[in-house]
Amino acid sequence: MNGCTPPRHRLPPPHEEQVRTTEQGMKASLTRGQHLELYYYMKLNRTLEEQLERLFRQNKLVGGLYLSLGQEATSVGTAYALEPRDWMAPMIRNVGALLVKGYKPRDILTQYMARHTSPTLGKDGTSHFGDLKMRHVVSPISVLGDLIPVMTGVALAGRYLGQKIVAMTWIGDGGTSTGAFHEGMNFAAGQKAPFVCVVENNQWAYSTPVKRQVPLENLADRARAYGIASYIVDGNDVVAVYETAKEAVERCRAGEGPVLIEAKTMRMRGHAQHDAAEYVPKEMFAYWKARDPLDRYEKFLTENRIWDAKNRAEIEARIERELKEDLEFAENSPFPPPELAGQGVYCQGCHSIEPEWHRPKQEVMPPKASVRAVWEVEDFGSLDQVPRGGKSTAEVSGDGARPPAQEPEKGKRKAKIAKPTRRVKR
Amino acid sequence: MAPVTYLEAIRQALFEEMERDPSVVLLGEDIGVYGGAFKVTAGLLERFGWERVIDTPISETAIVGAAVGMGYLGLRPVAEMQFIDFIACCFNQITNFVAKSHYRWGAPVPIVLRGPCGGGVHGGPFHSANPEMYFVHTPGLKVVCPATAYDAKGLLKSAIRDNNPVLFLEHKFLYRRIKEELPEDNYTVPLGQAVVRREGRDLTIVSYAAMMHTSLEAAELLAKEGIEAEVIDLRTLLPLDKETLLASVRKTNKLLVVHEDTRTGGIAGEIAAIVCEEAFEDLDGPVRRVTSLDTPVPFAPPLEERFLPNAASVAAAARELAKY
Amino acid sequence: MPVDVIMPQMGESIFEGTITKWLKKPGEKVERDEPLFEISTDKVDAEIPAPAAGVLKEIKVGEGQTVPIQTVVAVIDAPGATEQAVAPAPVPSEAPQAAPAPQKPAEKAAEKPVAKALEKPPATAPLPAPSAPPAGPRRDGHPIHSSPLVRRLAREHNIDLSTLRGTGAGGRISKKDILRAVEAGGGRPSAAPAAPAPPAGVPAPAAQVTLETAVPRERIYFGRYEVQPMSMMRQRIAEHMVASKRTSPHVYSVDEADVTRIVELRERTKTEFEKRTEAKLTFMPFFVRASVEGLRAFPTVNASVDGTNIVLHHEINIGIAVALDWGLIVPVIKNADEKNFLGLQRAINDLAERARAKKLRPEEVQEGTFSITNPGVFGGLMGLPVINQPNVAILGIGAIQKRPVVIQDAIAIRSMAYLTLSYDHRVVDGAVAHQFMGKVKSMLENWNENIL
Repeated sequence: MNGCTPPRHRLPPPHEEQVRTTEQGMKASLTRGQHLELYYYMKLNRTLEEQLERLFRQNKLVGGLYLSLGQEATSVGTAYALEPRDWMAPMIRNVGALLVKGYKPRDILTQYMARHTSPTLGKDGTSHFGDLKMRHVVSPISVLGDLIPVMTGVALAGRYLGQKIVAMTWIGDGGTSTGAFHEGMNFAAGQKAPFVCVVENNQWAYSTPVKRQVPLENLADRARAYGIASYIVDGNDVVAVYETAKEAVERCRAGEGPVLIEAKTMRMRGHAQHDAAEYVPKEMFAYWKARDPLDRYEKFLTENRIWDAKNRAEIEARIERELKEDLEFAENSPFPPPELAGQGVYCQGCHSIEPEWHRPKQEVMPPKASVRAVWEVEDFGSLDQVPRGGKSTAEVSGDGARPPAQEPEKGKRKAKIAKPTRRVKR
Repeated sequence: MAPVTYLEAIRQALFEEMERDPSVVLLGEDIGVYGGAFKVTAGLLERFGWERVIDTPISETAIVGAAVGMGYLGLRPVAEMQFIDFIACCFNQITNFVAKSHYRWGAPVPIVLRGPCGGGVHGGPFHSANPEMYFVHTPGLKVVCPATAYDAKGLLKSAIRDNNPVLFLEHKFLYRRIKEELPEDNYTVPLGQAVVRREGRDLTIVSYAAMMHTSLEAAELLAKEGIEAEVIDLRTLLPLDKETLLASVRKTNKLLVVHEDTRTGGIAGEIAAIVCEEAFEDLDGPVRRVTSLDTPVPFAPPLEERFLPNAASVAAAARELAKY
Repeated sequence: MPVDVIMPQMGESIFEGTITKWLKKPGEKVERDEPLFEISTDKVDAEIPAPAAGVLKEIKVGEGQTVPIQTVVAVIDAPGATEQAVAPAPVPSEAPQAAPAPQKPAEKAAEKPVAKALEKPPATAPLPAPSAPPAGPRRDGHPIHSSPLVRRLAREHNIDLSTLRGTGAGGRISKKDILRAVEAGGGRPSAAPAAPAPPAGVPAPAAQVTLETAVPRERIYFGRYEVQPMSMMRQRIAEHMVASKRTSPHVYSVDEADVTRIVELRERTKTEFEKRTEAKLTFMPFFVRASVEGLRAFPTVNASVDGTNIVLHHEINIGIAVALDWGLIVPVIKNADEKNFLGLQRAINDLAERARAKKLRPEEVQEGTFSITNPGVFGGLMGLPVINQPNVAILGIGAIQKRPVVIQDAIAIRSMAYLTLSYDHRVVDGAVAHQFMGKVKSMLENWNENIL
């Protein structure tokens, strides 16, 4: 930590300042099967991206290629903490998260090859795809930060519908400087949205080092300003990443509000294939190469006797087989027909929009939903050290349908238009 | 029934849609306890509760972004921009995230972004904007500009039920100035349909929102001189109802477009192009425009009066065109 | 080494070509310069020779498809090809979609969309060559002000706008004025509604002319009929002729030449000529030779017009109209003034033969400075041809017939031919035209050159 000690919140959310890692005694709650599955996803993530790099050089991809080599543990470990009902939105370097959510290598290959068989039919590339109905994945866009408020909305809608879901997205160190990041985190915090934001600190925003963008020791420090919980984790330690994300997801599901996880990792390539990343000191690559997430996990699995050579060979053979099949599928896929260009700008009855209710609708309909529209003011401005007599000047009416997370926190005065219908004790 | 203002008609639409469908929720700055800067949402928090009427921080990007996320789970959020000028803050979210969503990956965004636009109320450069054309130029959005209380209610209901993102621009000059009796039935007005407000044979005046009333006023003046203007209210700018427009031009053979938006890049240019492409041989004169000046909206009353079109300037242009 | 086969640029203004026929199938051997495929373009139909020897590996553009010039239409696997022959592999930094066509996927999967994408012409069509816009109605040399609506109504009701008085702003003819004229019975009211305007967004043809329909389409289709789409050549001829008539004010002069001397000379020499030269002896070289003399004497007939500039050509390149079963083409004898009689005859025979065999090279139909057409071949007494742009004149030769003529007050039987000259009055006046004709006629009548 830096020398600056932030003022304590009245109800301090936990801010762990210790970097979590299994090497410092962090326990793994994973079963053997889960360990092997985690390894499978990480290895698949890596092998797939190495394949993509070759394809790019053979001129077989359309457009740029943005690799997450070196960041596999963060993508895979965090997404692995989600349940199928949970929602996530990947960023460009979260191929691993997409694989964990059930997408296949062919989805990523056809996206990068702009084929008609890709999830977006060739209308967009890279990781820019999603699935609202089955996998609960929101497609990212190239503009950074935009997903933070969107996933906040996902989290709020899930809570409104009684679904008990958690929303998760990722953002790079660079993306935390956007206005959308701030607006989204602040809104999520104010609403206590069940939202996990994983800040993937891969040290470089394109060519600019993190310390030249953000004058903070840890990006997790930003969480304090939003009044939300945060963790810092060794992003190349998949077990630590998973355990941390699991804890965060559980806290969210319990209604404790958003959590920010800073995962410290390293982008082991340039921003995209055209970028040789010569601005990165060689020693820095060497430092992180020595902490390669796959090497470390392989060592972990061996040292803890979780796997044997046969398990490993089986996983590798499975990956090789799956990748081969999917590559063949992708290469044999046609490009989209040109006339597709003019189609699908609007939904003209192609989708039916029906929310999935997991609570009685009457709870959000009058008369049950009706309230007395008055702010509950907890303090009058905090000039004094101790908040004085902070009880509200008004009561909230209704049938108690107002969840604690919805409590508006601060206001200034009583609204004039309040017309109480019924008074009920809170 | 008593006549209902344009503002009250909008409130009624929100109220009735929220009663009808629990997936309709509201987001915006000061819309709950306070009831909105113009009181459009007054009383809705009391009736529908904290979960459905959400007071947000001053974060337009977060408002739109959260609405999108809610829409992805099947809700139908209606987000308010306190003044439509502030929509510039979330331009990226609307044009990049919202508008491209269905095209890119088949994810519909059933949201409505509504807010007060327009001048004539001495709001100055930051409280008088007419930003419709930024969004008319964005495939994937729908843009609605009601001119009457009846339409405001019927169009907003259609917008809420539409599976696409709709920008609903309420003209604040009209909020409390116009009133009409509304039917009691649960009517809607379909998006994308213009309407002939006044029939005439000598020329067509196409307009929308507050300028539709100015155009009608001008048509009254012209009628006294024996010039019969047909007045069309576009109601929806995107998608544009070309059929109604072209049918009228084929009848009157002359076209004047009137809008409060600034001149360069206003929808009049697009309409002129459509008519030249599709009804050139029906034109008996050049397509003419009466618009605001190509300036920010000025503050002082004499400046703003000069800035805006009025019945006299519309009538003058129409007169000249009729004579052509 | 794979060698790309490219859609050639068959002329400066040509930007696309249609493959009409593949003469080889994929997998077949081809020799270098062996005919590989046939194309049809705005200017010429041609057979394209293979750029290298080898095996035709792949046909990328099928028959009937139109693609921009420089498009790779096929690939030849050429074992011995040098590096230079190989088209550089595209480096897809800006247009990566060109490259990643999969190598081996089944044709049905990958090839189809690629080929489809190529069907569209490039977004940037060449600018139309400068040409005079269609002249609107004029009165006393001044344009009449009306409107698109008025002009349409005038056309539909056959009303001459110059006969109407305008009451609109500045004397403009308004809707009111034309409707009054229509009611008054104006011109002959046309019964049917106007032809529908061409839909917006339809790309204009390469020439600067849209082929119009002069009457409402309803009046064309009646009774029993068969509709045949125009071939590309037919369309281009049609456009070319419309453009020429619209651009050049045509004037026609007719003269008559006594070609008895030539007829006798030909009859006398024919057998010997053909035996010695193995070339067929026709009348055409006589007329070409005579025209060369005329053009030398009157250079304004050997010219082109560019706006307000007259371009006097220093070469005398004479186009000869050759009738084909499927149309008409005008191959050009370059530098006709530098050729002797035999050279002219050989050139004429060669060009005509190759025109009929579709083996003309694109440059052989370009850069003509004057044209000759020969309706007499088909027995026509005379014809009034349309100028072959960008020439300013064209000579028509009628049938050579024996006719009674008066020579020194005596009636004699002579071989006669009518000569017609169509010329562009922007440049060539009647005086020059008749002097030119006089020169041609005198050359023909007093032929004194050896032809062997």
